[in-house]
Amino acid sequence: MIEVRLFATFREGRDKIVYLEPEQAVCPADVLDHLGIPHEEVAICLINGFHSKLSDPVKDQDVLALFPPVGGG
Amino acid sequence: MRGENRYSRQTMIPQIGEQGQKRLAGSTVAVIGCGGLGAPVLTCLALAGVGKIRLIDHDRVSLTNLNRQFLYEETDCDKEKCKRAADFLRKRNSGIVLETVCERLTEENAGQLLSGADVIVDCVDRVETRRHAGRAARRLSVPLVEGGVHGFYGFVLSVLPGESACLECVTAQEAEERGPVPAVGAVAGVIGSLQAVECMKILLGLSHILYGKMLQYDGVYGEFTEIPVHVRPDCICQR
Repeated sequence: MIEVRLFATFREGRDKIVYLEPEQAVCPADVLDHLGIPHEEVAICLINGFHSKLSDPVKDQDVLALFPPVGGG
Repeated sequence: MRGENRYSRQTMIPQIGEQGQKRLAGSTVAVIGCGGLGAPVLTCLALAGVGKIRLIDHDRVSLTNLNRQFLYEETDCDKEKCKRAADFLRKRNSGIVLETVCERLTEENAGQLLSGADVIVDCVDRVETRRHAGRAARRLSVPLVEGGVHGFYGFVLSVLPGESACLECVTAQEAEERGPVPAVGAVAGVIGSLQAVECMKILLGLSHILYGKMLQYDGVYGEFTEIPVHVRPDCICQR
């Protein structure tokens, strides 16, 4: 399973953690499409704590963390 | 009680003590942004007795600030934030030095404005300014405490330049908030207070700093989540 952790406004109307089968997503972009999150709204995309592009591969057991911009002061 | 002073309740803490209090008194902290995050950061650090605080903000007080920026009063609207903030703090601790810099931090002036700081606390609302602050912290080799809020959400991340992940290590280049950022004053209070705690821990030489760990706060769920973040080898902070 791929564990997808959503943060901040990405949680609104969705679960905060989503599990996907590896065949449901080969990259973070697939995950975003599955969840209905516009790609341009992603500020931080981490696979196992490492910065990744939306086209980078995700595999079974990976933890994907997605964040919108949260930068107000 | 005999021997008590304004810092007694701090110096009785083993991690601080008289030595730690002297360390705080001998420290300089630069706080970029005197807004929603800056208000709790500045207040906590000033009351704790950080010896010198540099307030950096080019902005003026507006009515929309007043739901969260408790440094200001209604009569402060249109006045320079860093001056009014310094007035607020000076009334609460006259024994510290407050330096005001009423200009925007830019790529050109960042090094100069931040030099001499033992810790930099980033409380700004623009990604570009965060970038300049982060890069200057790297050049100056000064620890940086990042914080951000959006509505009921927020984060804190401490950065040990060249050693732990910075915001640029984990953020997409194009990422930017669009338009005014929604802000709950109490959430800014949570995040700003956490930034102040991180800053004090760094000044005191304590361990368990949030280096390489982004602490996310979700006020809707009422939960904190710590996310490990790693250095990106091709990030500018690694050059």
